[in-house]
Amino acid sequence: MRQTRTRRSKFVKSLLALPTLFVLAFVVVPVANILGRTFEDISLSLLRSSAIHQVIWFTTWQAVASTMVALALAAPIAFCVANFKFKGQRLLTSLTSIPFILPSIVVGIAFLGILPGSMHRTAFALIIAHAYFNFGFAARTIGNRWLQIHPHLDDAARILGASPAKLFSTVTLPILRRSIVNTSLIVFTLSFTSYGVVRMLGGPARSTIETEIYFRAMQLGDVSGAVLLSIVQILLVGLLFLISTRFGSRDSRRVSTPTVSRQKRIDSTKNRTVIALVGLGAIGFTVLPLLAILNKSLRTSKGFTLEGWRLVVSSNELWRGLSTSFIYAFGALIIAVLLATIAATAAVYDENTAGLVGVLTSLPIVVSSVSIGLGVLITFDTPPFDWRGSQLMLPLAHAMIALPLAVRMITPVLQGIPASLRQASSVLGATTWQTWRTIDLPIIRRTIVSAAAICAAVSLGEFGASSFLVRQSNETLPVLISRLLSRPGDILQTQAFALSVILVLFSAGIIFVIDSSEDFSPAKRTANNA
Amino acid sequence: MKKTRQQFFLLLVAGALLAGACTSNQTTKTDGATDDSADQGQPANPNEPITLKLLAYDSFTPSPEIFDDFTAETKIKVEIVLGGDAGELVTKATLTAGNPEADILWGVDNTLLSRALSAEIFLPYATRNIANLDEYARTLVPNNEATPVDTGDVCINYDVNWFKSRNIAPPLTLRALTSSNYANLLVVPSPVASSPGLAFLLATIAEFGEDGWDEYWKSLKQNGALIVGDWTTAYYTEFSGSSGKGDRPIVVSYGSSPPAEMIFANPRPATAPTAVAALTCFRQVEFAGILRGTKHESEARQLIDYLSDVKFQEDLPLTLFVYPANKLAKLPDDFVKYSLRPESPLRLDPDLIARSLLIWLDQFTNIVLR
Repeated sequence: MRQTRTRRSKFVKSLLALPTLFVLAFVVVPVANILGRTFEDISLSLLRSSAIHQVIWFTTWQAVASTMVALALAAPIAFCVANFKFKGQRLLTSLTSIPFILPSIVVGIAFLGILPGSMHRTAFALIIAHAYFNFGFAARTIGNRWLQIHPHLDDAARILGASPAKLFSTVTLPILRRSIVNTSLIVFTLSFTSYGVVRMLGGPARSTIETEIYFRAMQLGDVSGAVLLSIVQILLVGLLFLISTRFGSRDSRRVSTPTVSRQKRIDSTKNRTVIALVGLGAIGFTVLPLLAILNKSLRTSKGFTLEGWRLVVSSNELWRGLSTSFIYAFGALIIAVLLATIAATAAVYDENTAGLVGVLTSLPIVVSSVSIGLGVLITFDTPPFDWRGSQLMLPLAHAMIALPLAVRMITPVLQGIPASLRQASSVLGATTWQTWRTIDLPIIRRTIVSAAAICAAVSLGEFGASSFLVRQSNETLPVLISRLLSRPGDILQTQAFALSVILVLFSAGIIFVIDSSEDFSPAKRTANNA
Repeated sequence: MKKTRQQFFLLLVAGALLAGACTSNQTTKTDGATDDSADQGQPANPNEPITLKLLAYDSFTPSPEIFDDFTAETKIKVEIVLGGDAGELVTKATLTAGNPEADILWGVDNTLLSRALSAEIFLPYATRNIANLDEYARTLVPNNEATPVDTGDVCINYDVNWFKSRNIAPPLTLRALTSSNYANLLVVPSPVASSPGLAFLLATIAEFGEDGWDEYWKSLKQNGALIVGDWTTAYYTEFSGSSGKGDRPIVVSYGSSPPAEMIFANPRPATAPTAVAALTCFRQVEFAGILRGTKHESEARQLIDYLSDVKFQEDLPLTLFVYPANKLAKLPDDFVKYSLRPESPLRLDPDLIARSLLIWLDQFTNIVLR
């Protein structure tokens, strides 16, 4: 038994080399390089400037506000989905998941489309757009955890005389706490480091650390100041991660879907009204901004027109952009899913590596993409590694950006597989590789497909790294949209909106593909295989 | 056995990725590895045409066939590489100085010039057209560190019909913009994030001095000036004189915006819908240069000659809406008719700009944006 364990941990360590290598090569080394290059010029006096204090303060409070609004919108949805069975439930879950994978440029123009002019370039616009991005994701993760609370637990509390409020605060909330903290952390980090939406909706007066890094490096040529700010950003988010691990104990319960469903049929008009209000409200909030884009794709100052769509469908640019985007998405998903599967397996097989995997796969979100981009520029600049302008850089960059999400999708499913299954397999003489292939792989296969779909969505919509790395000959769809938007003439604008509608449809398609494959719950697969 | 299989699997993946990287690397390499191929280990092939990479800002859109003559004459191909806005180009070129991404850089303007020169990104070269280039522009590069290729002005533009129909005189000076007659009428692209916005900030510093410009901006702000993120938003969304039909009749834009409004309009209006306040203009000069570290210096020199010669220069007014730097280049009639070339535009010394820009922008941010 001990022998198996050491053999297994060796295997796991050798496996982990590949994702580690990638993150080192494409995140850590470039950033270290740019830090080394500018180290002598870094002056801490920048951190004493009141303008920078304001940037840091604004970044923080808008991220806190965005997270709270997203959670407030998510809570009623999670409650309804976890506790009731109703018509359109799957549609609700799927639809509200779409915003999470929408390209930031699309969300930006959607909100410019529905908000009145006086609200453009306000903190409100920014916060509502961040909440829009994340509320469906939050509802989904918290709702899923809620579903896993055994209904008998509620019954027991009720029989013991607990009021609904007491039941919620003493039973439900403690179990959900970890999930809420984790979800908030992700939403906070995404809002804290967001770039595209801030540029589009925040206006010139509202810079976040991420936009300030871009501005320092590119507009002022103050690369050392930019690097210093990226370090500040890493420290702040890192600090938050540290604090959050102290919040509530780790959710160590191995959870699986309970055999008895906690979803009840709707039994009173009151419940029916609540669910109808929540459901319709959530769907309306999701769909209205998207309809605004559709509307704008069909309208110029002269009225209704199909000209934008006609030009888009007949232009070579669209088809080239589409095929470029798809090739890159395919490359990115292969790399990201492979690395994520390895990293997740390592974290679950050998708990000692879990911390390392966590840090490794958080770095790509936490480190400013401008710093990574500039670092890559000075790192991969000598033959045979002169990859500047290489076609491969973009799928690699997209894979790095998608990796954290993919790992976070695959890990919980692997964790849900009872360790006894693997032990039994080892005892019967199977190698670690055979165990993984015959026990884990069949169970996580569907999650891998879902993770691949999410990676594809991330790559299709990614804008920051793309705009930094693409050349005219290989523009992706979001870059093409941005170029069309910045050129005069409203026919070009309608084309940009039409392309955005196409991106929305792809994102929606991806979500529905994932959701239609979810009938096979991990628990059932385990039972079948065991 | 199993272990070898695992290793084989990992190797396969790593190998496939590396192979992919190397092939795409080689394809980019073959473009430019002919004359100086000793370090590449490939024999020089005089018959294979050289491709020069011309790095430019995203809005660099000359006529598509403009380099055909050059290629026919010299057997040198030109590949245009777009690399973001001008600031991005200079930052990237600074970081890669001596080992550049391309052979020639187009689009460093006088606000960025000092940054580019102090990082020594260019190889000096005196083009054969030098005697014909704009004198003021040449004074900015006394040692031919870079070549002036075009000039332009950033000026206050206004909606002619808006003022005519209300019988109000349009603003003619920067000072006038703080008058209550023009309250809530001005929209400015942010100096912090856009190059015309920055030029306008420099115009106010040139006009009111290093001690006076902050007071001016305070009054501008009190008078309801709207500051937006970029030029596109200012001109096409908020300005009333463009196709966007916004609410504000005064905007910071280019001296060549009025001809652009006329030439692109279909059908063309009887009189120009927008005009320029000549006394508010700040002169911009753009430069091109040979990037230090290029393997094709002599070919790059030929391209600089071509870029500053009459044929290419005459293509600029109607494609980039700038004035040629070469005085022998003829301007199209429409361009002359509708544009206004200020006699004595506002100017600032590039060295002063380089020294003080950070401080000015910080001050600006504190006064106006917070």
